[in-house]
Amino acid sequence: MSSTPVIDVERLNLTYGDFHAVKDLSFQVRPGELYALLGTNGAGKTSTLETVEGHRAATSGTVRVFGKSPRDRRAVRPRMGIMLQESGFSPDLTVQESVRLIGKLTQRTDRVERVLGVVDLTRKAGTKVSQLSGGEKRRLDFATAMYGTPELIFLDEPTTGLDIQSRDDLWDVVDKLREDGSTVVLTTHYLEEAQQRADRIGLMHKGALHREGTVSELTRTLPAAIRFSLAPAAPAPPLRATREGDGTFLIETFGLQEDLHTLLRWAQDHEVELRELQAGPTRLDDVFRALDSE
Amino acid sequence: MLSIALSELIQIFRNRLVLVTSLVMPVAVSAVFIYQHEGFAALGSLGYIAAVVMFTIGAFGLYTTTVTTLAARRQNLFLKRLRSTAAGDTAILSGLLLPITVISLVQVAVIMTALAAVTGEPDNVLLLVAATLSMVIMMLGLGLATAGVTNSPEHAQVTTLPVSLGTIAVTSWVGITGTEELALLKRLLPGGSATELVLNAWNGGAPLTESLILLAPTLGWVIVAVALASRIFRWEPRR
Repeated sequence: MSSTPVIDVERLNLTYGDFHAVKDLSFQVRPGELYALLGTNGAGKTSTLETVEGHRAATSGTVRVFGKSPRDRRAVRPRMGIMLQESGFSPDLTVQESVRLIGKLTQRTDRVERVLGVVDLTRKAGTKVSQLSGGEKRRLDFATAMYGTPELIFLDEPTTGLDIQSRDDLWDVVDKLREDGSTVVLTTHYLEEAQQRADRIGLMHKGALHREGTVSELTRTLPAAIRFSLAPAAPAPPLRATREGDGTFLIETFGLQEDLHTLLRWAQDHEVELRELQAGPTRLDDVFRALDSE
Repeated sequence: MLSIALSELIQIFRNRLVLVTSLVMPVAVSAVFIYQHEGFAALGSLGYIAAVVMFTIGAFGLYTTTVTTLAARRQNLFLKRLRSTAAGDTAILSGLLLPITVISLVQVAVIMTALAAVTGEPDNVLLLVAATLSMVIMMLGLGLATAGVTNSPEHAQVTTLPVSLGTIAVTSWVGITGTEELALLKRLLPGGSATELVLNAWNGGAPLTESLILLAPTLGWVIVAVALASRIFRWEPRR
């Protein structure tokens, strides 16, 4: 696999009037990987994504896609598929006409029937876009993005509005595209999707990239949590614990298994009931929440 | 470009409102002018009828539809969608505007032929073609510029009024009163010199070189409109 990045963003800045939307942002996306760009609301990820897609010019800094400026549409777009956050289809065209038009304009080759089959829209081929449900429009959007199996696919909130079955189907197709060598850039509000699918994650907050790495790299920066409550007469727990507002004890630990074992053995030895015991590794949600408090 | 044009043509024929405003209305108004040609000729001349018919199609068929189409395609993010492909901006705009431009040209040709059949042939057909083409280019330029300040198809009903009514008014003013008085002002107003060109082409009597100079103010409006459009045209809705 080539080590030359598919996307190379260096010191990107975007300003709208006095508002500094993106500040000195740098990241790379390697060939074949699924890179998730996540962030709090207003973090600047949509502005970043639109700049990398070539829809927006950078105020300063450089953005390279396949070694070229993403503004050079003729050079770059035939190699990339873009699933926009909002539909953007003409309501008076049918599903088939929409895919045929956008597919042709991407300059990639594919069969409209095949693409519609992959996203389960064959039965809707002759239906006007105005008559599609929200989920069907998202699948149509995905169909145009994956038309001709591009080398790079941008998925902007791909599963918003989809039912669980459609979500699973979409991710199966993404997996297949990745098997065929496609690189994927994802933004999503469903953190569990990023946690399950992404090779690497970039976390944006207030216009800057605050953290970047694999899921385990991101989550191991924060302690795991053990929560429980005790009867009023119970002795103090053996590990350093803080008392939360509702009386629950919280133990934050980087050694979850060992500390949990210690706690359970103490409870057994002292015949103490650990009520509402909860223990689990740090999740992406926790990293996200920590980000929000920074 | 042709695939965009084809999809646009499909959309025009599927949208009844656009179909009526861009096809039926101008033809109906033009038919009235031809049917009542003796009265209008007495008011101005046969060239005046040709000019007012041409600008009715240009203003209500071509210009208004251009603004409405671009505002609608921007509002539903279809322009952004097209820009997500390998198509260039010029190809996208050309594809979107080609069908209505061709339809308008065909309408002008058919109605002028009908007028000629009823009242007699124009003095200089080539000059009439030059006048028509300059009017079409000017209306497209003004349409692009107006689309820059038009947020939605509904908004287009308001933003198109100054140019569409203004050009018809200028056409009627120049067509009925001629250019013996206030010639410079009449020729510099949008549509003024194109109207005089049509009058010369249909009625005859003016030297060819004098008539061809009348193309300059119309092309000047094209330059102004395109310069404005390049500054204010937006591909995406305001956030």
